[in-house]
Amino acid sequence: MINQEAQLKKILIANRGEIAVRIIRACREMNLTPVAVYSECDRAALHVRYADEAHPIGPSPPRESYLRIDRLIDAARKSGADAVHPGYGFLAENEQFAAAVRDAGLVFIGPPAGAIEIMGSKTSARRAAQRAGVPVVPGTEAPVPAAATEPEIAAMAGAVGFPLLVKAVAGGGGKGMRTVVDPSELSNAVRAARSEAGTAFGDAAVYFERRLSAARHIEVQLLGDHHGTVVPFVERECTIQRRHQKVVEESPSLAVPPPLRRALMGDAAAVARAVGYTNAGTIEFLVDPDGHHYFLEMNTRLQVEHPVTEMVTGVDLVQWQIRLARGERLDLDPDRAGAPDGHAIECRIYAEDPDNNFLPSPGRVLQLRAPGGPGVRDDGGVAAGLEVPIFYDPMVSKLIAWAEDRPRAVARMRRALGEYLIAGIKTTIPFFLWLLDQPEFLAGRFHTTYLDEVLRSRNGRPFLEPAAGDEETAALAAVIHSLLMSDNGGTVAGEPLVRRWKAQARAEGVNP
Amino acid sequence: MRFEVDVGGRVRQVVATPAGDGFAVTVDGKPFHVDAVRVDDYTLSLLVDRVHSREVVITPEAASPAGSPLTVRVGAAPLAVILNGRRRGTGREGPAARSGPQRVVAPMPGKVIRVAVAAGDSVRAGQPLVVVEAMKMENELRAGRDGTVADVPAREGMLVEAGTLLVVIQ
Repeated sequence: MINQEAQLKKILIANRGEIAVRIIRACREMNLTPVAVYSECDRAALHVRYADEAHPIGPSPPRESYLRIDRLIDAARKSGADAVHPGYGFLAENEQFAAAVRDAGLVFIGPPAGAIEIMGSKTSARRAAQRAGVPVVPGTEAPVPAAATEPEIAAMAGAVGFPLLVKAVAGGGGKGMRTVVDPSELSNAVRAARSEAGTAFGDAAVYFERRLSAARHIEVQLLGDHHGTVVPFVERECTIQRRHQKVVEESPSLAVPPPLRRALMGDAAAVARAVGYTNAGTIEFLVDPDGHHYFLEMNTRLQVEHPVTEMVTGVDLVQWQIRLARGERLDLDPDRAGAPDGHAIECRIYAEDPDNNFLPSPGRVLQLRAPGGPGVRDDGGVAAGLEVPIFYDPMVSKLIAWAEDRPRAVARMRRALGEYLIAGIKTTIPFFLWLLDQPEFLAGRFHTTYLDEVLRSRNGRPFLEPAAGDEETAALAAVIHSLLMSDNGGTVAGEPLVRRWKAQARAEGVNP
Repeated sequence: MRFEVDVGGRVRQVVATPAGDGFAVTVDGKPFHVDAVRVDDYTLSLLVDRVHSREVVITPEAASPAGSPLTVRVGAAPLAVILNGRRRGTGREGPAARSGPQRVVAPMPGKVIRVAVAAGDSVRAGQPLVVVEAMKMENELRAGRDGTVADVPAREGMLVEAGTLLVVIQ
């Protein structure tokens, strides 16, 4: 149990990238001192530069740095931090980390280790939801035993029915998941999911879940305090996914009428209360075309997509995480949390080449200029001159647009994506500009496999055709660039370069 | 000065001459007046025909096995540009190579986490050869056609650059 109104002064952020920057921002606004940690390749990363203190925690591979509980606790002790924020990913949903932080006499900014443990296993999470009276997606009650023979695996799958999903028991973020439409694909899918799960989570266990057709992924953010109050928020629509990974999130959902919203919020709060949940968490549901909802899983951490909720409710979820961790009462007006003001959309901009099957595109960012202006929020973790490393997720930025209604939010997002300048690596911006023009997206007519299906049918065609005249402009610009660059005598920005070019041409006897 | 410029696979003839406060440029004979200001190493601010403002960002092509020298951003769609028609790389990877050895290369920088074949193995088209992990995603590289594995330079745990040779199939 937590001390009443614990005094916190210094917060160690056990993470990197945009979420570390996001948490540093909350610390600053609350007059708390942010402490960063960094792996070898992150020495000059943005989160290090934004922080007051930064501590090295080892080599670049996550297992040797951001997943090293001992080194993180050491860094927290050395810095004199009194609390640790885990961010998302890495150790955010690792109950041993939460326990180690508390055992070290520090405040863990997150839920109790017991709640993390229950929800960390998808099979025990499903049982917890059922005990709370919340419906779950049909599936296996227990993990597929590691020693199960192929016929035993086939029998378990047959009982669930096809199409089904092979899912990592310890899963999250779409890792360790495979769809099986035909029973002949089952053993390959189980093997692949186990391998990916083992790599990503250190636990290769998988289970089966029926794949509901034409379902939407709708989730409910909630906050809970140490005094028994749980406040659920208006839903987030996270149906637009590529290979089970969310790429666009919005709030509210076009598919959620008020009675369904009340049911989702009520069930989310019931599940949270059933496991004694505190701090920020999210209950994910599937909603079928008839409007029935099913508990999918709970994420016992801050979500990547938390900004869309912040934009439509005006609630700073990260600041609330810190306030709840230090024992404050959750005196938030539930009506404010449950009634959205306007509409918000988030695009996850990744270092991937959308025109090359979304292949990772790590490398050095040579130019970066984020969009701004009314209703636009850029939660970025990269700056010009920095490498996007191969070791971590490919997130470059989360771009969020808010407006009075969805059509205006879409128009604003389109404008902001057009302004976003990232050069040196490939990004998914062209893909988002394409998506925002799709009639199904504009009408809100989509389900969780919509994007994969439409991408397959496009057969790799480029997402954006150059606008009229762009190719001519590119050709003449490349020529002028090479003329000006060959005149590399320390040009002052803004100087009309033609003068220097002419001087050079004369000097070299070129007839211009 | 005369240039051949390959933009996205189409070669254009560009002639550029200093003219007053800018450049007189023709692209495939079509004339433009271009006022150019270099903002930094990568960025040009252009006023085309005095009024049309275009910000152009020109960077070396991101690491890519069949890489072209420049990426030029005019709008949101980055364009691959090669000056004077010089092409680097031959697109040697991929199933396009129907005859001769198939050279399977890393499509992006990453880490080899699994090598599923050894020299001398016979493989079928579509059979997994190597798994390269980058940014937490496993990317399985498969045989483009039936054949025999001639060489496996890939080793588990190896960090690779885009274009690093992983497997050769005869």
